[in-house]
Amino acid sequence: MLHLAESQPRTDTETVLSVENLKAYYQMNYFGVSREVRAVDDVTLAIRRNEIYGIAGESSSGKSTLIKTIAGAIQPPLRVVSGSVTFNFAGKPLDVYGAPEAMKDARWRHLSYIMQGSMNVLNPVRRVKHAFHDFAFAHMGLANTAFWGRVREHLKRLGLDPRVLDSYPHQLSGGMRQRLTIALATVCEPEFIIADEPTTALDVLVQQDVLALIKDVQQRMGSSIIFVTHDMTVHAAIADRIGIVYAGRLVEEGPTEDVFAKPQHPYTVHLISSLPRLGDVTRRKALPGKPPNLSDPPAACRFHPRCPLAVDRCRTENPPLVPRASGRVACWRAGEAEVS
Amino acid sequence: MFKILRDLLRYNTEFLIGFVLTGAIFLFAAAHFFAPYPDNAIYMLPPDMPPSAEYWLGTTSRGQDVLWQMSAAIWNTMTFGLTVTVISRFLALAMGMTSGYLGGRTDQALMTINDTLIALPNIPILLLVYFVMRDQMSWPILALTAALLGWNYDARLIRSVALSLRTREFTRHAVFAGMSVPQILIRQHLPYVMPVIFFTAMNNLIWAIGLEVTLSVLGFSDINRPTVGGMIYWANQHQAIIAGIWWWIAFPIIAIVLLFLGLFLLAISVNEYIDPRSRLSRMGG
Repeated sequence: MLHLAESQPRTDTETVLSVENLKAYYQMNYFGVSREVRAVDDVTLAIRRNEIYGIAGESSSGKSTLIKTIAGAIQPPLRVVSGSVTFNFAGKPLDVYGAPEAMKDARWRHLSYIMQGSMNVLNPVRRVKHAFHDFAFAHMGLANTAFWGRVREHLKRLGLDPRVLDSYPHQLSGGMRQRLTIALATVCEPEFIIADEPTTALDVLVQQDVLALIKDVQQRMGSSIIFVTHDMTVHAAIADRIGIVYAGRLVEEGPTEDVFAKPQHPYTVHLISSLPRLGDVTRRKALPGKPPNLSDPPAACRFHPRCPLAVDRCRTENPPLVPRASGRVACWRAGEAEVS
Repeated sequence: MFKILRDLLRYNTEFLIGFVLTGAIFLFAAAHFFAPYPDNAIYMLPPDMPPSAEYWLGTTSRGQDVLWQMSAAIWNTMTFGLTVTVISRFLALAMGMTSGYLGGRTDQALMTINDTLIALPNIPILLLVYFVMRDQMSWPILALTAALLGWNYDARLIRSVALSLRTREFTRHAVFAGMSVPQILIRQHLPYVMPVIFFTAMNNLIWAIGLEVTLSVLGFSDINRPTVGGMIYWANQHQAIIAGIWWWIAFPIIAIVLLFLGLFLLAISVNEYIDPRSRLSRMGG
């Protein structure tokens, strides 16, 4: 019944997740006033096996909506308007919005989720072991003793004393709780993990520890991870490839090193320029303006009101996401901006 | 559990008094199983005897021993109250939790029922049920009817807790992991709601006992089954006050006042234990 990730042939070029022309809008219609927030607009991306894919973008750029849509964890008023999300679990394609039953079975077994603010994902009034039982037991198909053996072994590998199973969440430190939620998300050895800002609430030391842990677990299991955070330094530390999201659209994508060394999109250039560098004491420039209102986004290229390089074409024609250098970029003037 | 009980007894005078009172009344009520006379037998003893060494609390005009009558009466009244409490707790839990968790139309529908029941007066409805079902009326049916009227306020309370639980991270996590709605409600949310249930149970018990006494005093219950209200009903029927048989009325009233007092003290002290804020203010923090 149980197919472990280790027993499968692993080819790093195999696509695990493909998202095609995905559009997900918040559609609200209250008291005769309808509003549509285009939080995910025409996103196409593919994630390979054994890869950590970072998604970066500022607050309210639609990062969280994008991964919620990918995970199939959406509720009205958020709706998928068009496009598809297809996983490839154990060699079988799985359409997230086409096969809800199969998707339900795949949850946690093949696809798990490390949540934003994951310090609070454990129920404060129940012992930790109940969380493991509730989330993982049904998906693993093991007998009771075998299951708890696996859980204990897994905790030990993640540097946790199996005795934590008998504690309540408030009895554990923040770092332990974070490890525990990672343990919870990885105990079934899923092929795909979605991590939504898992390190945002932690101080840098614990953050480093947690990142190392995630990377370690990922490499051992050969799973793929979507890692979402607004913190570019975290991306630099962990991601293999990065996708930059601006106002609900993917504007640039490429291998981490290339994105940091030679960013193509003016927005990415600004992101990279804003990072502090050792020895450099000049003041960092903030990008003027603010993220656009997604219920009424700017026409054509959504970045043009804030873009120093904007030309007339940017105001009339939306740039497609086209292959360029080692990645893809959506800009009419790609590669022209310089990192300061 | 025993540690909590020990600490409450040691540090909380209200709890101590409430516990001793309620415990003593319970033991007294349980003693009716060893009563020398059957509960509903009448004219077994000389009527209208004042309290004496032989009949400690006197005898009634119906020739019953007030002491043993009261013992059985309190037992029956408490059984009624507990039945109402248990049934209405289940209703309040089910309604409040599903309504708060599911939200939307389910919430609207359930809360409309709830608010309608809150607006309806209880006593007239119970009287109506009694008259309609007069021949089949027994205490379990009366208890069920009372329970159907006694869950609404607490359902609202539980719904408000469920509303906040619904948006917590662990709930979203559980949904993502594929737990079904009943699983989430029972395994994730119920432990959170239990303290609310315990506290409201005390209040509900007091309410249910009060209701039973009211109905029985008016004669709207099975009058042959000894209850506290039933004793007062019979005493009134025999004009005990005018006849000077004060012990027939006085002792049941004293007993029910003591029971109320005990339950009330338990309720407020348990609340103090459950609500950290009042615990802190008690500690002077």
